[in-house]
Amino acid sequence: MGGVEDDEPPSKRVKATFGESGVVSNSLSVREQGSCSLSDSMAWLLESQGDDEVVGSKGVFKKVEFVRIIAEALHSLGYSKAEASLQEESGIPLHSPVVNSLMHQILDGQWDKSVSMLHETGQIDETIIKLASFIILEQKFFELLDGGKVMDALKTLRTEIAPLCINDNRVQELSSFILSSSQESRLKPRRKLLEELHKLLPATLMIPGKRLVHLVEQALDSQKVACAFHNSSVGKMSLLTDHQCGRDHIPSQTLQILRDHSDEIWFLQFSHSGKYLASSSGDCLVFIWEVNVDGQVSVKHRLFGHQKPVSFISWSPNDDQLLTCGVEEAVRQWDTASGECLKIYEKTGLGLISCAWTPDGKNVFSGVTDKSIIMWDLEGKEVECWKGQRTIRIADLGITMDGKELITVCKDNMILLFGLDTNSEKFIREDQIITSFALSEDRKSLLVSLLNQELHLWNIDGCPELVKKYKGYKRSRFVVRSCFGGLKQAFIASGSEDSQVYIWHRDSGELVMTLSGHSGAVNCVSWNPVNPHMLASASDDRTIRIWGLNQVNMDYNGKKHSSNGVHYCNGGS
Amino acid sequence: MDVDPRQYENIGVNENDIHQIVLSYLVHNCFKDTVESFVACTGLKQPVDHLEDMEKRKRIYDFALDGNSSKAIELTEQFAPGLLESNKDLHFDLLSLHFVELVCSRKIDEALGFAQSNFTLFGKEQKYVEKLEDFMALLAYEEPEKSPMFHLLSSEHRQNVADSLNRAILAHAKLPSYSAVERLIQQTTVVKQCLSQEFGKV
Repeated sequence: MGGVEDDEPPSKRVKATFGESGVVSNSLSVREQGSCSLSDSMAWLLESQGDDEVVGSKGVFKKVEFVRIIAEALHSLGYSKAEASLQEESGIPLHSPVVNSLMHQILDGQWDKSVSMLHETGQIDETIIKLASFIILEQKFFELLDGGKVMDALKTLRTEIAPLCINDNRVQELSSFILSSSQESRLKPRRKLLEELHKLLPATLMIPGKRLVHLVEQALDSQKVACAFHNSSVGKMSLLTDHQCGRDHIPSQTLQILRDHSDEIWFLQFSHSGKYLASSSGDCLVFIWEVNVDGQVSVKHRLFGHQKPVSFISWSPNDDQLLTCGVEEAVRQWDTASGECLKIYEKTGLGLISCAWTPDGKNVFSGVTDKSIIMWDLEGKEVECWKGQRTIRIADLGITMDGKELITVCKDNMILLFGLDTNSEKFIREDQIITSFALSEDRKSLLVSLLNQELHLWNIDGCPELVKKYKGYKRSRFVVRSCFGGLKQAFIASGSEDSQVYIWHRDSGELVMTLSGHSGAVNCVSWNPVNPHMLASASDDRTIRIWGLNQVNMDYNGKKHSSNGVHYCNGGS
Repeated sequence: MDVDPRQYENIGVNENDIHQIVLSYLVHNCFKDTVESFVACTGLKQPVDHLEDMEKRKRIYDFALDGNSSKAIELTEQFAPGLLESNKDLHFDLLSLHFVELVCSRKIDEALGFAQSNFTLFGKEQKYVEKLEDFMALLAYEEPEKSPMFHLLSSEHRQNVADSLNRAILAHAKLPSYSAVERLIQQTTVVKQCLSQEFGKV
């Protein structure tokens, strides 16, 4: 740096004087207001633009801006001496002389001068000048009122504030304060006015407060997003190395094999609380499992009653109850705690194919073999029936978070988002036949499984939009189910006919892991919504596998040892 | 639903009723001379002071309509003492008329002083706070006619206040606050609307 400066033209030294007079926190003399004319401020601008020096190997940003935000950061941290030295040594002032004058004038209460100074900066457009003038004059108004000078305050309002012709509502409010001037003071400190002004003025004129901090936070966020294996809450991140989780945060090892089913297992799902797991098999039984405190899963109830295998299970919003749907049969409602069958929903002469709860837990939906959809209340009374081509023989049924839209597969390659009150219809059209779908926890995303072994992720918040595609797993004859999961649902998991579980990173679409262990097609997977380190898979080999973190690195409790919660796993080393 | 006008012939109307209806209209609107000749022609009995009272009420009404509400208030206090105390909304409206007068004649200092002495009490009650804000906003503009609150300076507003004052004074004197003919028209319209709704449903 020293070498470069010697070759610079004399103008650099002139800038150093600017730097000295520009510092607000020291009580060095500020240049006289009178001499701070328009040409001076323009000259300052031109000089700084002449410095096209860039920083960094990519040459993407300017040195002048970089130094200024560092100076601002020092200022926010309270290191005024360091701030002053930086400005002096670099010759780059944090604020232009005009801005410095403005700041002084505000703190000194020289309102009229500060308003005219706004016009002199030459960098702000009309509207902002008006808004800024408004808040400065408001301060003047309140200070006059506070000092008992009611007539002067009124004069300011009439002749200076109202003619700006912006914010008539506020003008009205101000006039009402004239009457109640003796009551509570609405005066704010001048420092606060300066802060508000700071937010109003363009960044090129006055650097936004804590700009450097904001940039750093942005960088950390993108590191997190790019982290393909990010599956644990990190807490504080280090600035010293890039964040990258290792594979050991994704469930990859079989912790438990549940052998209690005696037939192929078709469906399984964790409850919302992550405390229970429900599974159903070809022998028409449904099991409710409990996840114990130590992570072990054990049988809680065996539910008898269905005459047909259950193809879909839906937990009530508070997990107190469970809906199970036998294939083209009936829907049964069970109590989780006792395992008792509370109700059977049937439609005479027809079979039911899917079931779902409304988000408020007060109604139950079901798809019917005649392609219609029914809604019952909890007494078993049919509340409404939507006829027509609403649903085909696919067991998935979903509802949006506000309970306003029903999601169902209405044709081989189409998903219908049906507005219940408005009867509106939105469609997701695919090129392939749809075999199943899954909804994200926030119900804003939809994962569609297709005949051609692809998973398509759709954003259904508003107009449906295809976001990503995931490939790699195998499916040819049967329905294979997929799900969202992991921390903030950052992963997609799916079963596969090659007996493996596939896991992708949701945002990047990258296949992160395949889990082997089952000896038959994996029909369904469910990721524990509350524990991002627990995954369950259901297979034709009649077992359920509970997957967790690699035990080699775990202590007895299944938690990773770490001293400060920060993970430094660099893949290569 | 339209009724056959020929059915009207079946209803008899008492001439005295018609006289009363016309008289109530004339009295309500202070047509003093007309009242005098009408009473003379029809021989209707009227209280002794009725002409005088009408005259006084007319003067009050005219002052209010002109915007000279301080005179209107003074006379009201004389003629119907206690009326304004028990009718705060009306009192507020009258005071604000005076305020508006001052603002229009650009007597800002006076207007402010008037507001401070008269409106502070009202400002304590929530329902007047909004109204007060609207009026005080007039002070903020050098040309109140061009401000968002210009409707407060209009003659329609003064008319409304004057009418309310008139009704209040009549009520105070135990006379009907609405003329009979006005009420009849209102009643007929409402009944017609009700009936067509009912018939419309069937």
